[in-house]
Amino acid sequence: MSWTIKHCLRLSPLILPYLVLFCGGVFLTVCQSFGILTPLPHEGGALDAYAKLLADPAFFASFFFSLGVAAVSALLAVITGTILAYRVWQLPRQLATASLVYKIPLILPHISVAFVILIFWSPSGIVASVAHWLGVIQTLHDFPNLLYSGWGIGMILAYTLKGTPFSMLLVMALLFRFDVRQIQTATMLGASGLRIFFTIVLPRLAPALHTGFIILFLYSFGAFDIPYVLSESRPGMLSIHVYNLYFKHDLARRPEAMAILVIMFCFAVLFIIAYSKIVNRLESGVRKL
Amino acid sequence: MDLKLCHITKRFRKRTVLKDINFDVGPRELVSIVGPSGVGKTTLLKIIAQLDKPDHGEVVFSRPPTRAHPVIIVFQDYVLFPSMTVRDNIGFGLNARHLGKNEIRKQVEQMLVYFQLTEQGDQYPAQLSAGQSQRVAIARAMIVSPAVLLLDEPFANLDRNLKMETARFIRKTQQEFGIPTISVTHDLEEAFAMSDRIGILLDKRLQQFDTPRKVYFNSASLDVAKFLGPVNIIPEHQFALFQIAGKGSEQILARPENLAIHPGRDGPGRIREKAFAGHYTAYTISIGNHTYTAYSHDDRYQTGQQVTLKLTSL
Repeated sequence: MSWTIKHCLRLSPLILPYLVLFCGGVFLTVCQSFGILTPLPHEGGALDAYAKLLADPAFFASFFFSLGVAAVSALLAVITGTILAYRVWQLPRQLATASLVYKIPLILPHISVAFVILIFWSPSGIVASVAHWLGVIQTLHDFPNLLYSGWGIGMILAYTLKGTPFSMLLVMALLFRFDVRQIQTATMLGASGLRIFFTIVLPRLAPALHTGFIILFLYSFGAFDIPYVLSESRPGMLSIHVYNLYFKHDLARRPEAMAILVIMFCFAVLFIIAYSKIVNRLESGVRKL
Repeated sequence: MDLKLCHITKRFRKRTVLKDINFDVGPRELVSIVGPSGVGKTTLLKIIAQLDKPDHGEVVFSRPPTRAHPVIIVFQDYVLFPSMTVRDNIGFGLNARHLGKNEIRKQVEQMLVYFQLTEQGDQYPAQLSAGQSQRVAIARAMIVSPAVLLLDEPFANLDRNLKMETARFIRKTQQEFGIPTISVTHDLEEAFAMSDRIGILLDKRLQQFDTPRKVYFNSASLDVAKFLGPVNIIPEHQFALFQIAGKGSEQILARPENLAIHPGRDGPGRIREKAFAGHYTAYTISIGNHTYTAYSHDDRYQTGQQVTLKLTSL
């Protein structure tokens, strides 16, 4: 048995699921987007589904809305998570142990977080009730419609709440290895807390921040659960658009649903490549210890 | 600017690390505190830098350090900021003081020239050798005119042949900048070469604090003498054999280099061992039931030869 085959066999527990589930799934999706292997015989050209999508303003509205929600929520989660992690890291050891409570939202399913946001921020939710009780608003109808304002605020809140502890976890992992003497040295040299954070600490955290942003952004961009509870119909998130095309329209529109998935996949790949290149260029020459 | 440590005591949980430490550092003075690893030297520096608090005692500065003129530690592994170039590292303190860009550039360039780092100006810390990193760390500290400079094991990461050169460089720099400096180290030769005064930290206490010569040749105790290098104990009843006139002490401590060998058939001593040690030869000589070590530049004496030992000076 050759060396290559022997190693492929040893790696098969990893390779097989990747080939069957991931590559197989992508292959089938691409095929169906071209009208091949569809449940119903496809009539028309291979690129019809893509042509239809690219001519549809609703698709672009949905695409850019998803992009905005994902970018804002990922950015907020990374910023909030970084600041909180830095503050927790600065706490005395006893308090830092107690602050592990930040990990709790990590174990909550996304759908639960969506309902938490709904319960707190809907016009009949807890925040509105408290505001009414305090006399800030006269009736519950006076409470602003935050969740369905057309700006995706509910989803942004939910993704931020879910993403913040994830960012904290990534940042804390780096902070625990951070040499506190760098901060002591910078303090002795007369630097303020803000200068220390931005010039000494933040550059060291950059790898975790970039990784966290990419993961959170791409997840929010394509996820279905939170938009299903908190999304609006116009513009809707892309994932809801795909769901509607797949389940709520006839089978003839299956290639369109699949074409959206292929476009989302291609966007994710291009995004990672472009993001990594930009980050590498910004940090060119910097060889950290 | 000068400073004085008064009765500094430090405990970690129930373990006392430093006990009743007292010494002072004059303006323009370079003081070294030497002691074995783990004796609390770095803790002492942190207390002086106010990064740690003593359980008892205080550090008194003639003019208290300010943000403009702080106390700065150069840590053992230099702790350069890894995402900044050498230039940015050196200019960090000036940037923190919001000086103008031109002023910062001018001062940084002067430092780069003085510390022979011009070629490394745009490099990052990971690209520097240990010696270069140390010079960057010292330049970064010196540029803000610190009230006191503290050096934590300045020779620990350097090659053997670089240590003495660095000691001389630190001495020259300290004299030129006129900044009181305290160095903690366990590299004795380098500490002797660069310091005005030396403190011996053993068993939690500062056992002796004096000029290098006095500390070495007139050690306050046998422990101090042994820590600083090989030492012979001459008992009172053998004083005459060494032609020591004075009495009044039970024993005299003598360094091997203070014992001169005089060959002679009627000498009371006999050479037991002879070992080549580079720029001298180490002889082990027995007199009565006592054994002594003497260093000599003369390599002619042979094992078994009868000799007399004389105490040259203390």
